[in-house]
Amino acid sequence: MAVLEYSGSKKAGVRREGLPLADVVRQIDWILLLAVGGVVATGLWAIEGITRHDVAFNAHYYLYRQAVYAGAGAVGLIVAALVDPDLYRRSWRWIFGGTIAAIVLVYLQGQAVRGSKRWVDLGFFKLQPSEFGKLLFVVALAGFIAERGRRVQEANTLLTTIGLAAIPIGLVFLQPDIGTALVYMAALVAVLFVAGTRWTHLALSGAVTLVGIVGILWLLPAVGVHVLKPYQQDRLTGFTHPTSDPAGSTYNINQSIVAVAAGQFHGRGPEGSTQTNLNFLPEHATDFVFASYSEQRGFVGGSLLLGLYLLIVWRGLRIVTVARDLFSAVVAGGIVFALLFQIFVNVGMTMGIAPITGIPLPFVSVGGSSMIANLCAMGVLLAIHARGRGARVSRRR
Amino acid sequence: MASTTTRRPAAGRSFLPPSANVVEPYRLTPGLALRVGILGVVTLAVFAALFLRLWALEVLQGTHYLKTAENNQLRTVRLQAPRGPILDRNRTPLVTNAAATGIEIWPSDLPKIYADRYRELKRLSRISQVPLYQIAAAIKKRANDPLTPVTVKAAAREDQIHYLAEHRGEFPGVQIAQTYIRHYPYRSVAAQVLGYVGEISSPQLRHDTKKGYLLGDEIGQAGVESSYDSWLRGKAGLAQLRVDSLGRARSDLTLTRPSQPGQALRLTLDLNTQKAAESALNYGIRLARADGEWAARGGAIVALDPRNGAIVAMASSPTYKPSVFAGRVTNRGLADQGLTKKTAEQKNFPSLDRALAGTYPPGSTFKPITALAAMQEHLVSPYAYLPCTGSYTSPNDRNVKKQVFHNWDPFIDRAMDMPTALAYSCDTYFYALGDQFWALPADRGSPLQRWASRFGFGSRTGVDLGPEASGLLPWPSWRKRTYTKKTDPCCWQVDRLWKPGDSIQLAIGQKDLLVTPLQMARFYALLANGGRLVTPHLLFDIENQNGTVVPVPSAPAPQKVGVDAAALDIVRQGLYEATHLPFGTSYPVFGSFPIPIAGKTGTAEKIIHLPGYPTGLLKNQSWWCGFGPFDNPTLVVCAVIENGGHGGTAAAPAALKVFEQYFHTKAATTGPIHSD
Repeated sequence: MAVLEYSGSKKAGVRREGLPLADVVRQIDWILLLAVGGVVATGLWAIEGITRHDVAFNAHYYLYRQAVYAGAGAVGLIVAALVDPDLYRRSWRWIFGGTIAAIVLVYLQGQAVRGSKRWVDLGFFKLQPSEFGKLLFVVALAGFIAERGRRVQEANTLLTTIGLAAIPIGLVFLQPDIGTALVYMAALVAVLFVAGTRWTHLALSGAVTLVGIVGILWLLPAVGVHVLKPYQQDRLTGFTHPTSDPAGSTYNINQSIVAVAAGQFHGRGPEGSTQTNLNFLPEHATDFVFASYSEQRGFVGGSLLLGLYLLIVWRGLRIVTVARDLFSAVVAGGIVFALLFQIFVNVGMTMGIAPITGIPLPFVSVGGSSMIANLCAMGVLLAIHARGRGARVSRRR
Repeated sequence: MASTTTRRPAAGRSFLPPSANVVEPYRLTPGLALRVGILGVVTLAVFAALFLRLWALEVLQGTHYLKTAENNQLRTVRLQAPRGPILDRNRTPLVTNAAATGIEIWPSDLPKIYADRYRELKRLSRISQVPLYQIAAAIKKRANDPLTPVTVKAAAREDQIHYLAEHRGEFPGVQIAQTYIRHYPYRSVAAQVLGYVGEISSPQLRHDTKKGYLLGDEIGQAGVESSYDSWLRGKAGLAQLRVDSLGRARSDLTLTRPSQPGQALRLTLDLNTQKAAESALNYGIRLARADGEWAARGGAIVALDPRNGAIVAMASSPTYKPSVFAGRVTNRGLADQGLTKKTAEQKNFPSLDRALAGTYPPGSTFKPITALAAMQEHLVSPYAYLPCTGSYTSPNDRNVKKQVFHNWDPFIDRAMDMPTALAYSCDTYFYALGDQFWALPADRGSPLQRWASRFGFGSRTGVDLGPEASGLLPWPSWRKRTYTKKTDPCCWQVDRLWKPGDSIQLAIGQKDLLVTPLQMARFYALLANGGRLVTPHLLFDIENQNGTVVPVPSAPAPQKVGVDAAALDIVRQGLYEATHLPFGTSYPVFGSFPIPIAGKTGTAEKIIHLPGYPTGLLKNQSWWCGFGPFDNPTLVVCAVIENGGHGGTAAAPAALKVFEQYFHTKAATTGPIHSD
């Protein structure tokens, strides 16, 4: 495969990689696809049990909705797998602008749910642009970095990247949606990391971030400046001392831990799970879905789901290594790390080892935007793999 | 990417063959591989953490948390119903409810670790100012019932409540609850009648389980609070509370069954008369002491309506403040009021309701019974003159040295008919009657005791209040039963005989006879109402909150005892003369009172045991019983001043005070008298 077929430079002419459908199918990463399918199926199974008592007289309300979303997401996955990622590279400015426009749109006509504006009502579907933003954000940043080419190690590039990233991060933060903002930050870190930013730059940025976090969470409140709203502050720091205010800010985490642990090895089943069915566990179909799932399916079910996630992440990391160019590698890295971050924060949150943030569990939490966006992201990974250097494709041209 | 920097720009075109000079544009460089490797390590670490945590929670601690989850559900809370008020006959509230905020503990929700629990309880003890050992004892008492809260303090101060509410996160298992505590607007008035409320004890619980009492319930422990508890207590409501795994309420109480407040208990007591009776008792005690009767320090007054037995006033001295039982009961508070075992004797047993549980020899107030029985048994004609002398010896006494029975007035020597003998309270007249009763043939039985028994002596009156004493009416059979070789080793064979002296002494209400003031009042009611025996009672009616009357069985109607109306008239005449003729025993007290009162004094000897005196002292119990207005009696009053000396000195003036209040009429100045 040492054939020079492609130049990452923007000066290089537009060149269509007419990879036929048959080749994409042949080059598909079946393990990743099966793992994704397995997670989606497990998620539907989980939702079926968890939401059985949520809507009166309609035990399958959420299940059917979620299945429809999964179907739509599957379509998105196929489309994303067929589209050449190079298209994104070339149009990263449009993508970046569109993402920001969509997030701004939320401000203009979004619906506030529990004090937070995150959704745009399309009539048939409540779109949450920030979920799709996770994918588009990574793609846009990767496009910018690929354009910079060799100058990627310069501080200038680093700062510009951070500057670009700060726009959507700030907008989402102000929605307010700290969880998603944190996912964006994690994606940014992964993008910079995979793109090859100097270790010293990484270390410096890390140190600055650390100082910023400590300042926002502990130092500034101490002198009376509150960047975060008090409830946000409590949630982010509450998991470190769960019994401090069990009726208030740490109620969720305590109930969640009880729910997870009460599942024991085999789970209590959908009918016996009192924490879920008696609503002790709030948001048990979205943010705390893993707690409910663990309560109902136990260690066995939890391990199954975590194992499938691990498989996805592993295949994702592998795709980073086989990506045919810098852009693809960075996109794959960003997607995979954002996914890992979401899994860790969400699952860790339910077990008291991560802060409470409103991050949905990929492929499992009830919610159309999240499901479709994540499946699309998997499609992009598949597309990168299919066109990667490991592909046994006869490139006739 | 470091590896891409050496790439020549615009070098790649497919028509060119691969050149050795052209570096591959993009490949997996060692740098990228390292970075991906690092990401892989991070991934593994993340998943390892998640797996281990999941394992630790579900497999290692799962059993523990499962229990938590099972306890972590809806909790049913009983809402205490406000207890019904107690009213007097004019609906003046005697006992009401004060809303209070209490502190309760759910023992099951306290921290499981001993040190934490100790720290929390210690802190709670400091805040609530309830000693730690008391909290611990209360919790221990409930060890086998974790699902009802333990009341730490029934009425906590506002600042304590505020503090606990603000720091409720630091007090798992502690709950602030709305409670009601009994409020006594007139303090100690009618304390023994009203009784008090307290937490149900385990023996009571075992006894009353069928009635729906539960552990932790407040129930009436004495007085009418106890006898009418089932109406007063209302019905506890039920509410559901969602609690979290650590026992803190996560929702407000949702009412599933509202509590029904208790019904109002309207008593026959008249507040003003009751107050007058209580101050009259103290007045009588003061009079007795002023007269040198230093041991006078207690007594009782019963005032009832002779037509139906409704008790208008019932006073007992010494008394206490029932409010010490409201809220948190402290040993010290009880001790101050003489309500603990240790201090009761020193305070002369204030919790004892002497009106119905105090037994005294009745002395001369018993003479009307002897008179009635003698007339009924045709032992004497009421208008026959019998001698009244300074002393009496029985012709039936077979001892060589005959026992001499003294008259209270050793200098008298004249003949009297029955009314005069009653008015003058001539002892020897009644000694002679008693002797005649003794001399009756065996087939006549014991008519004096039989009549006394018909008049209600020797048995409980059936008043709706407890515990009631039945007194002691001595029958020959009782003597035989009581004096055995075991109980009376020296002289039981002699003591068990019924001798002339026994009948003689019984005729003037002495020796073994014991009665309660309530029994006596009931008998004088019989004199007043023409021979019907009433059942004394305190219940006027029971009313719902909206004023409608709840049907409850009323006291039994007065029962005719079959006493001759003419005989009754003789006795009534005697009692009237006792208060209205100059030689009458209570003439100086009642003679000038505008309402005609008829009544009898009594001075009964009783051997009493006082703290500090190794041997008993013979002290006079001061009695007065009577009724008025004479023609149409509406009130009977019976007063006893313990160790008060002569009946006319202490008891009669005290009784007058009650009449004064009841009839709203003042007497002209009176002076105490020294007579039997």
